[in-house]
Amino acid sequence: MEHVINAENLTLAYGMDEPIITEANMKINPNEFVFITGKSGSGKSTILKSIYGEITPKKGILDVCGVNIKNISSSKLNLLRRYLGIVFQDYRLINDWTVEKNVMLPLMIGGFSKGVCVKQAQKLLKHVKLLHKADKYPLELSGGEQQRVAMARALAHNPIMILADEPTGNLDEYSSEVIWDLLKNAKEHLGTTVVVVTHHIPSTLGIDYKHFFLESGVVYEVS
Amino acid sequence: MKSLKNHLSVILPLFVLLFSLQFTFLTDKIVEDYSKKLTQDYSIVVVAPKTLSSAVMKSRVKGIKSIEEISSKKILDRLKGNISSKNISLLKIALPKFYSMKLKSFPSVKEIERIKKKLLSTGLVTKVETFSKTHNRVYRMFQVLKNTAFVFSVFILIISVLLMFKQMKIWLLEHRERMSVMALFGAPFWMKSAVLYRLVIVDSFISTILVAGTFIFFPSIEKVKDFAQSMSISIPKFDILIDTSILLGVSLLFSLFIVSIVIRKMNKE
Repeated sequence: MEHVINAENLTLAYGMDEPIITEANMKINPNEFVFITGKSGSGKSTILKSIYGEITPKKGILDVCGVNIKNISSSKLNLLRRYLGIVFQDYRLINDWTVEKNVMLPLMIGGFSKGVCVKQAQKLLKHVKLLHKADKYPLELSGGEQQRVAMARALAHNPIMILADEPTGNLDEYSSEVIWDLLKNAKEHLGTTVVVVTHHIPSTLGIDYKHFFLESGVVYEVS
Repeated sequence: MKSLKNHLSVILPLFVLLFSLQFTFLTDKIVEDYSKKLTQDYSIVVVAPKTLSSAVMKSRVKGIKSIEEISSKKILDRLKGNISSKNISLLKIALPKFYSMKLKSFPSVKEIERIKKKLLSTGLVTKVETFSKTHNRVYRMFQVLKNTAFVFSVFILIISVLLMFKQMKIWLLEHRERMSVMALFGAPFWMKSAVLYRLVIVDSFISTILVAGTFIFFPSIEKVKDFAQSMSISIPKFDILIDTSILLGVSLLFSLFIVSIVIRKMNKE
């Protein structure tokens, strides 16, 4: 697989509305750290949604992990999503599941035994320094802690790529730093491709990254 | 508390649905049983100039169970005091044969007319008395009872299904967030919906047990027994194996069908 994401002349729109992204070209290689920035409403999240198949491209090509997203069947899309880890600004944890069970989710979907799921979840919770809160429920945790749980869940199944939609948007400085460290570690130690949609690229990241900037529906690669 | 309320919202319509279904079965069985008893008591009187052969009549007219000659001796004995013995002998020769005819099942109004026509068309019978007035009244009463139970059940079924649809939609809205999170990580349909299927399966079992319990307990109440006795009806026993299996099957079929429709509809939206 040459590119993890290959978009050629990609046009995205919601239903019959005017396109949000027009004729975009993006190539993302394995183990790259990528930022997608732009003003509010510029279509950053729309690009991310198209990558995990929430919206279908109107025109052009969009290959994710070698799979063409256009006209993909729901069973194939389910399979593809099992290779991705997704993090949202609003965490999207299952509130009536414990922290540990939330982290186990991608492994349960992957069909791993309960023993393996628990072991891996505990390892990741230890990694995000929340093992002592494994039995708590998400709403008993602070925002920063919930996002760390969401990160642990996104990493649980060793995904090929992590897609993060403004992962630090709701967090204080300390929690944001923890999340950036986790994303950086995923790239450096696990070889994961990381695609982050954000308003602001942290100055203290200390790694090489690719940067796409969105304006008026056009995607520019910033060198 | 909320969970109990959620369960009750499905258990209650399911219970009513199964109850009305079992009630219809029960009514059918009682009516069937009662009509069997009536069939034993009901007979058609046939007048024939000559002796009738049971085998011939059975082969010509369908539905005849037995034919029995009604002895004219009693009538003639009553007349002995008023008429001379010579005239009695003449009367004996001239008197036609009377037969009581029993049928295999309790006939409908149409069937009774058919049998009457068929008997007369054989040329062996001169008169047929079906006692149709009394028969028709009883038959119509049965029909009203059966149809009322059926209409009642259909009405209850529609209401129950609508209530279940509504409750499933509420459940689905409650679980939507969880299902969408699961979908983001590639969970298959069955896994996303498993919790809803599990809930309806549990509720189906509970409803079936409640209905089975009601129909086992109900006929053992003294007042119900007395009532049945006063009406000369016997309440059929609830067959734990067969009746429970039917109820459980119907319950699962309805609830799984409804939950599948609601989930698929929501997924499309």
